Amino acid sequence: MKKRTRKGRVLLLGLVLLSYACKTPPAPSEAAEAEALEQALWRAGASVFSPENYDLYKDGLKTAKENLAREKAKFGWFRNYGSIRSEFRDLLKKGTDLLQAIQNKKAVKSKALEEQSLSLKSRVERLKDMTLYFNESGAVRKNLSQAEIKLTQADLLIGKEQFEPVRDILQGCRLYVKQAEEAIASLLDRYLDKDQLEKWKRWADETIAESQKRAAVAILVNKLERKLILYRKGDVVASYDIGLGRFGLSDKLYSGDEATPEGRYQVIKKIPSSPFYKALLINYPNEEDKKAFALAKKNGRVPSQVGIGGSIEIHGGGKDSLTKGCVGLEDGDMDDVYRLAEVGTPVTIVGALSVENSILAEIKAFEKK
Amino acid sequence: MKGLTKNLVLVLAIALVLAACKQPTQQINEAQAVIDEIAKAGADKYAAAEFKTLGDDMKAAQDEIAVQDKKFLKKFGTAKDMLAKVKTDAEALKAALPGKIEAAKNAAIAIQTEAKTAIDEAKALLEKAPKGKGTKKDIEALQADLAGAETAFAEIQTALDATDYLGAADKAKSVKEKAVAVADQVKAAIEKKKK
Repeated sequence: MKKRTRKGRVLLLGLVLLSYACKTPPAPSEAAEAEALEQALWRAGASVFSPENYDLYKDGLKTAKENLAREKAKFGWFRNYGSIRSEFRDLLKKGTDLLQAIQNKKAVKSKALEEQSLSLKSRVERLKDMTLYFNESGAVRKNLSQAEIKLTQADLLIGKEQFEPVRDILQGCRLYVKQAEEAIASLLDRYLDKDQLEKWKRWADETIAESQKRAAVAILVNKLERKLILYRKGDVVASYDIGLGRFGLSDKLYSGDEATPEGRYQVIKKIPSSPFYKALLINYPNEEDKKAFALAKKNGRVPSQVGIGGSIEIHGGGKDSLTKGCVGLEDGDMDDVYRLAEVGTPVTIVGALSVENSILAEIKAFEKK
Repeated sequence: MKGLTKNLVLVLAIALVLAACKQPTQQINEAQAVIDEIAKAGADKYAAAEFKTLGDDMKAAQDEIAVQDKKFLKKFGTAKDMLAKVKTDAEALKAALPGKIEAAKNAAIAIQTEAKTAIDEAKALLEKAPKGKGTKKDIEALQADLAGAETAFAEIQTALDATDYLGAADKAKSVKEKAVAVADQVKAAIEKKKK
């Protein structure tokens, strides 16, 4: 009996010792966290934004996992995860810092690209305004539309943090914008020509002087400013907003070109009832226009079978700048002009009188880029 | 005789041990071949997370081989098991990849169709829009805008043909947005004319 009891106690003691040996300490949870952090680093683009540090992290993780495996292989009684836990914690700290550094880099990159995109958007919007101002609803406008589509695409990719292709897309956008700027600048080459400006200024000065000398009314049209200015006795009486031909900023050369002529003219007929409310017919083409037409015809710049044109008026019907070459006014403004003008009233049409015009300044800025 | 037999047995035993110590080159090559195949097929784009896991597992197997290579008594059993898993997973991804690519393609085509619908709608509105005083210039400008969208629309097909389905989808979204913007502006111009 005593022997059995003693055996039982030994057995019990053995079982207790065995269960203690088999009760293993839990593996550090930091190991799984470090694995998850490696995935997070990859998703954040660590291999792109910080490849060397990412490799270091992965090497550190591999070493820590090997150490963990070695410790796990030991008999439970001899396992001690203390140093392993420290190793993983250290790795987690480095990994977290690396993740933060990558997020910061991405935020900087994203901001830089967003700023470029915004700057391009601003240029596109301004150019779109200019296309309306210059009635350029063709190739330039189409280019700008494609530029906007590229900007939308770039914004989508920036939102998804896919920065690499954005650079090429923005470059494509810049090309469209540059083409648009060059096309618009070419419309206004003449307006930046010093000699041309001097000529226009001389016409304007002579017209005003004549108005003063004769104590009479004179009309001055400034195409770039889109203004018709009424003078009487050399003083400004009124200034009105106007519309021009579809290609009004060009100097009219032939019939159907939809340009508004430049030169010194006079009212030759007052039309009280016209399809465009009221109208003042001017004597386009004058002698200079005829000479220019003949030369252009000789040089093949005028389509064959096309004449010089005529019937250029100052008329009502609105200032939406889609006339065939006439100067358009709102009906109320036309009433004033019609009332003051007479047959013989000088009408001088110039391109511009100053390079201080804000649009010209913008055009000059295109050319500097 | 006894001595000869003993020697033979010893040589055989050494040969067997050495055979077990050989690097699993064939298994490496087989697994790598499948990975390369699916990489070419666009796994990095269309199944990025799974492809990344494969890469990590392959590297882990290669690291295990490197560790064993340094030992006198090399045991490549674990490495072989790892390589077998990589090959199995790579083949599973290879089987699943066409489905993923097809899904991306279908998604891109769906957005392309939406973009076309938006362009057609804008076109129809522009045809109906009154080109009178106050609207003609705007309508003509919007027609040019839509022409730009139509040119960009053609680029979507170019991307699809080049199997850049994700790129095609982004392009299609951008074109659709432009076409919708044009349609909205046409509607606003029509409303302005009514007033």
